[in-house]
Amino acid sequence: MKNPSPFFWSKLALRELLNNRRFSLFFLFNLALGLAGFIALDSFKESLDNHLGQNSQAILGADVALTSYLPFEEKTLNILEAKFPENTLSTRKTSLFTMVATKDQSRLVQITGIEEGFPFYGKMVLKNKGVVDPENMRQSLALSGEAWAYPELLFMLNLKIGGSIKIGEQSFRIADTVIDDPSSSFSSFGLAPRVYLGFSQMEETGLLTKKSRVSYQRLYRLTEGTDLAGLVVKLQNQINNFDGSDSKIRILTHKRAGNNLGRLLGYLNDYLGLVAMIAVFLAGIGAAYLFRNYLVHRFREMSILMSLGATRQQTYRMVLWQLVFLGTGAALIAIIMSLGILPLLPLLLKQFLPHGFETQINLSSLLFALVLGAVGSLVFCLPVLSRIRTVQPLQLFHENIGDQAVNDTFWRQVLSYLPLLVLSWGLSVWQSHSWIVGSAFVGMLLSSILLLGALAWGILALAGKLSQTSGSTMKRLAFRNLQRNRSGAISCFLALALGTLLINLIPQIYQGLQEEVSRPDDFRIPSLFLFDIQPEQMGPLRKTLSEEKVHLNYLSPMVRARLEKVNGKSFEANIEEVAMTREQESRQHFRRHNLNLSYRTELSDSEQIVSGRRLASSYDWDSGKPAEISLEVRYSERMSFKLGDLLTFNVQEVTVEAIVTNFRRVQWNSFQPNFLILFQPGVLEEAPGTFLGSIGGLDSSRRLSVQNRIVKDFPNVSVIDVTRMVGRVLKISDQMVLALRLMAYLSILAGLVVVFSIARHEVEGRLWELNLLKVLGARFSDIQRMIQIEFTVLGIFAGLFGVAVSLIMSYGIAWWFFENLWKWTWQTSLASIIGVTALSVGVAWLATQRTLRSSPLSLLRCA
Amino acid sequence: MILEIKGLDKSFPQAGHGRVEVLKNLNLEVHEGEKVAVVGQSGSGKSTLLSLLAGLDRQSSGSLRLRGQEISAMSEKKLTQFRAENIGIIFQQFYLMPHLTALENVSLPLEMFGHKDSQERAQEALQQVGLAERETHFPHQLSGGESQRVAIARAIVIRPAILLADEPTGNLDNATGVQVANLLFDLVQTTGMTLLLVTHNTELAQRCSRQMTLHSGTFQ
Repeated sequence: MKNPSPFFWSKLALRELLNNRRFSLFFLFNLALGLAGFIALDSFKESLDNHLGQNSQAILGADVALTSYLPFEEKTLNILEAKFPENTLSTRKTSLFTMVATKDQSRLVQITGIEEGFPFYGKMVLKNKGVVDPENMRQSLALSGEAWAYPELLFMLNLKIGGSIKIGEQSFRIADTVIDDPSSSFSSFGLAPRVYLGFSQMEETGLLTKKSRVSYQRLYRLTEGTDLAGLVVKLQNQINNFDGSDSKIRILTHKRAGNNLGRLLGYLNDYLGLVAMIAVFLAGIGAAYLFRNYLVHRFREMSILMSLGATRQQTYRMVLWQLVFLGTGAALIAIIMSLGILPLLPLLLKQFLPHGFETQINLSSLLFALVLGAVGSLVFCLPVLSRIRTVQPLQLFHENIGDQAVNDTFWRQVLSYLPLLVLSWGLSVWQSHSWIVGSAFVGMLLSSILLLGALAWGILALAGKLSQTSGSTMKRLAFRNLQRNRSGAISCFLALALGTLLINLIPQIYQGLQEEVSRPDDFRIPSLFLFDIQPEQMGPLRKTLSEEKVHLNYLSPMVRARLEKVNGKSFEANIEEVAMTREQESRQHFRRHNLNLSYRTELSDSEQIVSGRRLASSYDWDSGKPAEISLEVRYSERMSFKLGDLLTFNVQEVTVEAIVTNFRRVQWNSFQPNFLILFQPGVLEEAPGTFLGSIGGLDSSRRLSVQNRIVKDFPNVSVIDVTRMVGRVLKISDQMVLALRLMAYLSILAGLVVVFSIARHEVEGRLWELNLLKVLGARFSDIQRMIQIEFTVLGIFAGLFGVAVSLIMSYGIAWWFFENLWKWTWQTSLASIIGVTALSVGVAWLATQRTLRSSPLSLLRCA
Repeated sequence: MILEIKGLDKSFPQAGHGRVEVLKNLNLEVHEGEKVAVVGQSGSGKSTLLSLLAGLDRQSSGSLRLRGQEISAMSEKKLTQFRAENIGIIFQQFYLMPHLTALENVSLPLEMFGHKDSQERAQEALQQVGLAERETHFPHQLSGGESQRVAIARAIVIRPAILLADEPTGNLDNATGVQVANLLFDLVQTTGMTLLLVTHNTELAQRCSRQMTLHSGTFQ
């Protein structure tokens, strides 16, 4: 006995697919639609990673930088720079957030002092002078004391090139605008446009005091072939040996600078990916349904093959080949579709993208798409594949092929769904870069499917009851069909309900947030937010504000510190450690950055203790005990801190030990000064620091006049217009919501294709029955009405329950993530229910027209 | 002797009724080249006997030896291979693969086992059943009689030791049925194959050298 040719089974599989073109096309289109969004996002993410990887040196403007919040000591720098290879180039850079003013306007900006050499990589482009070179930098910034500003600042201050702005104690002429800056980042939400000054001119502003939050940087261009990782280790070891402020020097490599810039977009991409996964899921449901019906009709052919000598394994192999062909084909179509979606993403996410970013389809994305298509279709159809076990060639001697019941044990059925669960979970975790978010997503999706499935089951049972009592024959037949074609009806219901859930969920969450933060008459939200107030400015500032007839609220001290140890163990982050998940990334972020501490005698009305006890009113230095601190509850969860943990802080070179005494929930959207870590009074009062405060109840003209007065009298104090910031945040959120919504529409489109496929298939499967009805005298309109009743019932209930579950989920998410900002907008819910019902009926109508219009004679022939 | 059945029993579990005995203590011997008809009414156990002979089902007890080998002792894999080499089956419903042409349908059992000459042998078989000119036609392009002739070609192409036919004319009109039966008996005659025919058509049964009547699971 010989083996068949190597391609025998694959060729046979392909021929069967070609012979069943309609099924194959529906399967391909259905799955491709689900995969398209996912693939487009993967390509987008890959493109972004590539862009950031390739441009990371331009983003930092160097290979590596040393950063400090204090000016570098010459001696310290000499020691560190001795570690660099010869011929390393260096340049200086300083930056801080402050206010700039014109005669009648003022704005928060980020001023950056640079000198010749910056940037070592990438090109900074000015509107008039073109690409920045050492000569025009020297002429304009260093010698003439001019400034280069971002164009939006000129727009905000109603200025033109040549106009003048006051920064600190010095006036600067704006010589040009920066139209391309590779180092620009999204982190300031566009609220603080950048102004470039000459490095030495920064001193003249009078803002570079020890009390200002200035970032000092030394940027280095290394010689070709330098071992960056080795250099970083040497530098870090040396910094660890320093004492005092020198030990706070940080090393920033170009790779990390790139990662930092991409982080926010990464978060958004994660969530877009999860939404796209729902489309994959819906498409998977449709594909599994179509495949199940296809397979049942192929049982006879399988029996014939087995009677001719094919083994069951060979039959499985042939079906697996078919799934691989279909999955790969769907992936190829999805790749073509994603070429249409991909250019839309940079348009939607323009605000968040680095300059010069271009999307491209990468080879890795293509391979991922093909693997996902092939493996995904196998995994989705695995529960259906188990039915092949029931195929018995001896049934060829009887005439009941395809009708045999599947007597799978419960555990076998559960096992057949296990790969699907594992794949979904793996994809979700990978997509969200978070064990927690990914697991929560799959958990919620699974719970929704189970809940909606149970509800669908109940509705179909009810339909069965109604079929015995309700009205006209067609109505009774419609209800009976619903009850008896459960797999089709439940698949339709799930596809519609999950789509509705998704479409409704995103705006539902957003509306709650929007309502809360943009409520104009809510005086809990301040008008202006002040920071960098020096202790000696407190009295004069209060006086100025009383002259303006406003009051400074929630005045809070802020002291910078570094967390060095937790329960005696070092808390320092490894400089080049690669974060695998968003949680790790977040922990690293907190580990690498300084903390802002505060202290207060009473909690503000936006804070609430959730566990532990209140902090003692005053600290006794003679007690020898650690001080008591309160941690924000989410921060403590992220960092895995527990009540009773001993934290060791370096507060301006003074070691302070503190014990975690309670966890607080903070309502961040109150826009009041709030802190992750609060000390009990009596510990930090003597430490050098600044104050924050807020001013409430100002209309737009008063906001401007009060802000201008503060800037005029206290140039170092920074002021944020909270109303403007809220508007800006909402605008950015709008973009995010639009992107998420578009992805959600893709999901509902996938759901509708499922409905179309199922409706068409159900009607074709019932040709004989429909034909009989026609022969018995049913009119076309009667039969059409019967189909419409079925899909209206499915649409209404799917819409209703989809909306209901979305409300429950949005409430849960709002409660958990957004401090209970939840508001039901019944208009959206109602529109969803009506829309989904209409679409369901419309799509079913479209899918069944051709079949229903066939004459009874042709139907008889088919039967 | 090509087929030897001794004390063959077959029963099925039936909900609420214990087990239903379909075949009871059957004994049969068939010699090489012999043409045997098994007749009986619906429900007499004909199809069950055929599925046991084809190795598509297992007996409950007793012995079933084909070409001297005990079928029930074979593993599933061995049985599949044995069937592919020794048993040709003709079904009442033809059961052709709808997406394959007549030639491809006939060559299928050969291709499945990697026979290099599958095309030539399939063409030869089609010629034997008088359908050489229809080899590129798909099943839906063939009449009922032609379809059954393709099915016969598919059954004989492997040159089986025994040909099992389940009501081969049951789905055809009288005239076509007679033509197909003539073809079948001529082929069996010329090739010397053993034929075991299951039918309730007495005329067809009478063309065989021996008729066995199955009644309520036993030979009478």
